[in-house]
Amino acid sequence: MGKLSIELSGGKDAFAPGEQVEGRIEWGLDTNPEALELSLLWYTSGKGTRDIGVLQTNRIDGPGALGSDKFSFTLPVGPYSFSGKLISLIWALELTCTPGDETIRKEIIVSPTGREILLTSLARQGQDNEPGPFLKRILGVPHASA
Amino acid sequence: MSQGRSSNAFSVCPMRARDNPFAADRLERIRYHFTGTSLDELLARLEQMNYRAAITGLEGSGKTTLLEDLRQALERKGLRTKLLFVNDASPLTGPQCRRFLSQLVPQELVLLDGADAIHRSSWSLFRRHTVTHAAGLIITSHRPGLLPTVIQCSTTPDLLKQIVADLTAHGPAVSPALLDALHRRYKGDIRACLRELYDLCARQT
Repeated sequence: MGKLSIELSGGKDAFAPGEQVEGRIEWGLDTNPEALELSLLWYTSGKGTRDIGVLQTNRIDGPGALGSDKFSFTLPVGPYSFSGKLISLIWALELTCTPGDETIRKEIIVSPTGREILLTSLARQGQDNEPGPFLKRILGVPHASA
Repeated sequence: MSQGRSSNAFSVCPMRARDNPFAADRLERIRYHFTGTSLDELLARLEQMNYRAAITGLEGSGKTTLLEDLRQALERKGLRTKLLFVNDASPLTGPQCRRFLSQLVPQELVLLDGADAIHRSSWSLFRRHTVTHAAGLIITSHRPGLLPTVIQCSTTPDLLKQIVADLTAHGPAVSPALLDALHRRYKGDIRACLRELYDLCARQT
């Protein structure tokens, strides 16, 4: 069983849309992997089918069993990290090792406020506290019902 | 309910979807619970049946979950599998059926989820073609009769309680009486029970 880690520069884990995400990955594996892949992605969690969007993947071929490397991604303008009752959208960096199923994921927040948007605090009281079409457009809510 | 956050804003909000113990991604991790038999016994029976068999059971009784588990077990045994999901949302048209069958190689074992959701003519073609062009055909179906039944899936209130206990190990306690009532209301459809529990959790403050 090897070890993978993702460290974000300055320990920062909340970013504004369009900002740079920088940090370092480290690996200490039992065998020499074919490759390591670091992806910037978002995924949904909630009642419905999961959606996932992979924005960028950096691949390191023949990384050796032990090592480290710096990374830098530029975030898109959206969607923002948000949560409602029926769906949450979560941003993450994911480091995977192939072959094998070793994976590590580090969640980040992408939001202009530096905090996950809580739909219940934005939506009007009453109803079902879920966003309307306008709010969905601003948040970049994927096609799954929010 | 465990909220996962301590901010004031969140403490007055309903549970976030990501914290809901009945979120779809958590349900996907539930594996088939065997009662009265085991995966090894099932594999042995399938081998005796030349891998031509049906997993039957009502909606939400675990057929698809079992088929997925079976796929992994068969591949661990070195068998090649090809899995096809068919349902009302993803129907199988005649041309799609013919294309799927034309791409089969004799070493592949076909796993068809939702055999009773495909058109009768496509099913006939499927059944005949896989006799000579595949290593086997294992299907799921709500009703028996399409292929010999290897296992009939069913659920009990105790199974629902066990699944809920696993899902809520670090979360809310759900009363056994509620689970009994849900199991009765949804006629043993565990998937429907868990969806209802998602909504109940989502409404908690």
